[in-house]
Amino acid sequence: MKRRDFLRASALASTSLLVPSFLPAAFGGRMSGGRFGKILVVIQLSGGNDGLNTIIPYRNDAYYRSRPNLAIPAAEVLPVGDELGFNPALQALRPLYDGGLLSIINSVGYPNPDRSHFRSMDIWHTASDSSQYLSTGWLGRYLDSECAGCEQPYHALELDDSLSLALKGREHNGFAMSDARQLKRTTDNRFLQAVGKAAHDHEHGEQAAYLYKVMVDTQSSADYLFEQSKVYPSKAPYPLTPFGQDLKKVAELITADTATRVYYVNLTGFDTHANQKNRQGRLLKQLAEGMQAFVMDLKQNGLLDDTLIMAFSEFGRRVKQNASGGTDHGTANNVFLLGGQLKQPGFFNPGPNLLDLDEGDLKYQVDFRSLYATILENWLGVKAPKDILGGEFGVLGMV
Amino acid sequence: MEKIHHLYWRAGFGLSPREWQARQGLTLQQALDQLFQEAGVVEEAPAPSASSREGFRQMSTKEKEVILKQERERLGSVNIEWIQRMASSRHSALRERMALFWHGHFACQPIFGSLGAQYTNTLRRHALGNFRELTLAIARDGAMIRFLNNQQNRKEKPNENFARELLELFTIGRGHYTEQDIKEAARAFTGWSSNLAGAYVFRPRFHDYGPKTFMGKAGDFDGTDIIDIVLEQRETARFITRKIYRYFVNEREDEARIEALSRQFYESGYEIAPLMRAIFESDWFYAPQNIGCRIKSPVELIVGIIRALDVRFVNDKALLFLQRALGQVVLNPPNVAGWPGGKAWIDNATLMLRLNLATYLFQLSEVNFRTKDEPEAGERGTALRRLDATIDTRPLMDLLAGVRREHYHERLAEFLFLQQPDIAAALLQQYASAGSDWDYANSLAMRLMSLPEYQLC
Repeated sequence: MKRRDFLRASALASTSLLVPSFLPAAFGGRMSGGRFGKILVVIQLSGGNDGLNTIIPYRNDAYYRSRPNLAIPAAEVLPVGDELGFNPALQALRPLYDGGLLSIINSVGYPNPDRSHFRSMDIWHTASDSSQYLSTGWLGRYLDSECAGCEQPYHALELDDSLSLALKGREHNGFAMSDARQLKRTTDNRFLQAVGKAAHDHEHGEQAAYLYKVMVDTQSSADYLFEQSKVYPSKAPYPLTPFGQDLKKVAELITADTATRVYYVNLTGFDTHANQKNRQGRLLKQLAEGMQAFVMDLKQNGLLDDTLIMAFSEFGRRVKQNASGGTDHGTANNVFLLGGQLKQPGFFNPGPNLLDLDEGDLKYQVDFRSLYATILENWLGVKAPKDILGGEFGVLGMV
Repeated sequence: MEKIHHLYWRAGFGLSPREWQARQGLTLQQALDQLFQEAGVVEEAPAPSASSREGFRQMSTKEKEVILKQERERLGSVNIEWIQRMASSRHSALRERMALFWHGHFACQPIFGSLGAQYTNTLRRHALGNFRELTLAIARDGAMIRFLNNQQNRKEKPNENFARELLELFTIGRGHYTEQDIKEAARAFTGWSSNLAGAYVFRPRFHDYGPKTFMGKAGDFDGTDIIDIVLEQRETARFITRKIYRYFVNEREDEARIEALSRQFYESGYEIAPLMRAIFESDWFYAPQNIGCRIKSPVELIVGIIRALDVRFVNDKALLFLQRALGQVVLNPPNVAGWPGGKAWIDNATLMLRLNLATYLFQLSEVNFRTKDEPEAGERGTALRRLDATIDTRPLMDLLAGVRREHYHERLAEFLFLQQPDIAAALLQQYASAGSDWDYANSLAMRLMSLPEYQLC
């Protein structure tokens, strides 16, 4: 028996006992043949990562003029093209780039950018215009529109104790779990389990019925995810950072063929107003080493072709450094895509124009919603992404 | 008593066991009169001292960070003071409840503690007064002026932020004005600014005195005229009444009732107290379909539990943690549209924390919950491992005086629920303590408070 087959067989054996009886029939079909399908992993870099010191225009005088103390010297940059290079802390991404597993989209943003963390993150989460307030997220609405019949909330799973707006829909929500064992403890209330079991016998009002449904779903999901988390203990060398360990948990769930289509992982601390160089370097290293371990782990298990990773931040930072060895809130930024099936590895578009600024900030070239549209249509197979995104934003060719 | 109970959950924040007992003999009319009478006095929140913001702009990033951190602490203390007010029987429940409603309506994130206190006092002062006065006071409130950038709204370069939200969210609602109306309204509010202390200042140099055309009228309007013209539209009364109905009565709207109420509201010249009285005095407010049909907001849940169990936190910051973890932080709404409410409060994480909350307090067991990161903090969000608090269930147990042990659960449920949960007594008893009456009663209360129905009011 091959290792993969063994894994699948053991996954089947352990889950078949536990899959709750009310799981939709579609899941049964999945188990006999093929994997669950294409998987999206979203990595959120919170605080506003400085894109200009991430992907560095190391031949651009304007860059060095704007950042006399903060610019990364050309000699330290890891060049990956004639104009652009990596921050040295991204060393671990180099082999992925060389292997055609990484695509970088420059100058991603939206019109009338908002420089508040919360507001700009909301805009990215809800895919709204900058003057529009939505209370559902783009991935939540994906669950609403594409998930008719698949009632389980763990189709979209966030590795955290609380759920981001991006994963909240009108009818369906994603699922938050920082750790399968800990989640199981929160549902380990035997009284509430007995209440959940008895709930089917009762008539509830609309609101109570909703609460009961979420409770029962959470209880069964906790059992399911706990079992899934034990199927494939990864041996790959993940960094011991919380971010690295989150990615390890995701890889373990993907490898166990968990019925989750979207994973959401956070890395925080990019709000580098002061002493940016060391702090951003540390974070980028965490990011790069975590992603490298993750990509190689999936590749080894033949799963990278089924996985697409997107890393974004709510905004980039100002072109000019400030007086504290840092940078202030800015606008457009680069987005990373990783996976085994990229149509356009390398750079999707040229780096930002540092001479054509909007009050000291980069102008966006790619609307983030066209990136969402591309992922929804070309990767997740959504027929009409405009129904989820509330408009046509064009589909790009990189996925 | 069921009606009074319902009234207090909607017009206030529920009742403590003592308050519940004290109202046993009252008629509904007496309870209503009492609620409105208590609301007659406006008790303002104390303002924390303000950091010196002299030369703030010129400060280095580090110096700014120190001040901003200080101010976050102060905002936290204003938040805690407000939550404690809502939980206390010494303050008017109705006035604080109305202030909380208006906070969600005129949603604002004050940046300084002193601005936060000033803003909540603005809400409090006008909470049951006149909607025109309230809107005008908000337009002149330093916290709102800063939040919606009106200090940058100047004749040469108008900033439309406040004007847009005034029309879209605060008064008439989408679909009843044009983009041109927003532009003209923004011009009328130019020069409406505030000083360093947060007090309203009109800056004539920045005001556009030119003629404007707004909603079909022409004149040399200023901000006050704009508010008056918007309030002349019956649609504004409808928009506000609908929101009040959805919040205080039922998310499921009844068009005929909303229309009748909004007519009354309009004809009274936008008087808030008579509108609220009309709702609370109506028969339909007490119809079964309007009772227990509301998912408690995190603040309602927290405050309700504090009242029921007389909770005292060892560190009051636990109140901030709970708000954050459950998804509603007072003085920090998600954006200017306020909290969406209803089912949006609920996901797997918030629900399990809600259901387990009473158990954590009864058993002082482990919580293990980490809130989302704060982007400025540069570190992972705060984690809570344990809720250090004391509870006093004696007042709750007093409700059982003269009740036989086999009827404890019924009596407790009467106090804890608006709509009685459909749960077999045998199931409850199976998971309750078999010990003394006291232990048994406490374990019953804990179990009942962890039922999904406890999330409703």
